[in-house]
Amino acid sequence: MIEFKNVSKVYPNGTRGLKNINVKIEKGEFVVVVGLSGAGKSTLLRSINRLHEVSDGEIIVGGKSITKAQGTDLYRIRRDIGMIFQHFNLVKRSSVMRNVLSGRVGYHATWKMVLGLFPKKDKELAIQALKRVNMPEKAYMRADQLSGGQQQRVSIARALAQEAKLILADEPVASLDPLTTKQVMDDLQHINQELGITMVVNLHFIDVARKYATRIIGLKQGEVVFDGPVENATDEMFAEIYGRPLEEDEIMGVAR
Amino acid sequence: MKRDKSLLIIRRVLVVIAVLAVYIWAFSGLPVLQFKETSMEVISSIFSGLLQPDWTYVYDPKGEDLLRGLLDTLAIALLGTFIASFLCIPFSFMAARNIMKNKAIVGTNKFILSFIRVFPDIVLALLFIKAVGPGAFSGVLALGIGAVGMLGKLISEDMEGVDLSAREALVATGANPVKTLMFAVIPQVLPNFFSFVLYRFEINVRAATILGIIGAGGIGTPLIFALSVRDWERVGIILLGIIVMVTMIDIISGKIRARLT
Repeated sequence: MIEFKNVSKVYPNGTRGLKNINVKIEKGEFVVVVGLSGAGKSTLLRSINRLHEVSDGEIIVGGKSITKAQGTDLYRIRRDIGMIFQHFNLVKRSSVMRNVLSGRVGYHATWKMVLGLFPKKDKELAIQALKRVNMPEKAYMRADQLSGGQQQRVSIARALAQEAKLILADEPVASLDPLTTKQVMDDLQHINQELGITMVVNLHFIDVARKYATRIIGLKQGEVVFDGPVENATDEMFAEIYGRPLEEDEIMGVAR
Repeated sequence: MKRDKSLLIIRRVLVVIAVLAVYIWAFSGLPVLQFKETSMEVISSIFSGLLQPDWTYVYDPKGEDLLRGLLDTLAIALLGTFIASFLCIPFSFMAARNIMKNKAIVGTNKFILSFIRVFPDIVLALLFIKAVGPGAFSGVLALGIGAVGMLGKLISEDMEGVDLSAREALVATGANPVKTLMFAVIPQVLPNFFSFVLYRFEINVRAATILGIIGAGGIGTPLIFALSVRDWERVGIILLGIIVMVTMIDIISGKIRARLT
């Protein structure tokens, strides 16, 4: 599904974001990427849909090289990759429905989208996506009237309406409380298990990572220092990734 | 503590002295007010004219009347605002720092917008009268071009305050730049865009009433004619008409704008 081949990233100021990453992620996996802030988790994730450019190496998504793709090809590959952000990244002034529908824009001609002409099928898809995250009744509310957890679920619905084969989630629960964290992570887990959509999730909380992941990738200063099934990710391993023993704020208390 | 207090008193005294000095200097330069012998007579006839407006001028089936003049004015303002609301769009995008990454283009467009704002509407109208001849069309052009400066500035600054996180999300779904703009940026600026356009319409209605004075069409033309022949009753009814129209438009557009944002 995703393959990193010798991927490196050097920022213009000389800092090394990623160092020689070689990782292969299979279809249907629930991969959680852990590491300290600044370890390159976000860079790694955003290089998959090329929101960030890499300086070296190649990334293959669904059999096509996204690092080499240009123009329409790039948009096509991105269309299959849903993304969930820490701050939800919804258009707050627009309705929930319009936000979910915005996941569909990659499928239609530009002039139709300028006029806002979505086929009926898309609206049904959007409602279905909202049903999956248990909020079809909120469809015609403005996005900024919803709570944080609800907004995050709308952004999940957006990725679902997009009919993505792969969903990237960059710290999806970092600005949520423990209860809504559980709801959002459960939603992601259901989508992964029932629809077979591959998940790559950046997480800060170790217990959440352990509860939901099938595979854990540990990053430290831009390098992969751990990559294996969740059973192998022991406390010692995490201490290694973080370069120190675990601290209170890295445990959220959801898993218990 | 004590020193602070005395310093404060000294400062206040100095300020008072400075203000008094400015006043004395200003008034000493004033020429002595002189009333002509006829002044009182003229003033009283102006007032009596204003108090007894020429109601027959309101509607005249044969032509040239107040209602048609006001309608002309309104049409000039409406058309001018309409033109400006379209013309300002490309400038607004290209003058918004976060939308247009090329600094030279942003700088050029910001300069063009400031340059247009330098000209008062009257000056623009005078230029257009020379270019296209007197009449309503030159008024429309003057307001249409003049408003681009203000609308472009307000809208581009509004765009610079837009939350761009949604743009990132749209890019991630595989949307091209046009789609991204339509879904992530436009919904955020649209309410303010309409609000600015309505506000400019209010300004244009007021501006259009004076444009006629220099021959650019509208109610200003009969007003300047009535003034020059001292037809105070006519002046009175025209002023009354302008007041009613401007107030009504301000109220209506204010109500709509309150709902938009």
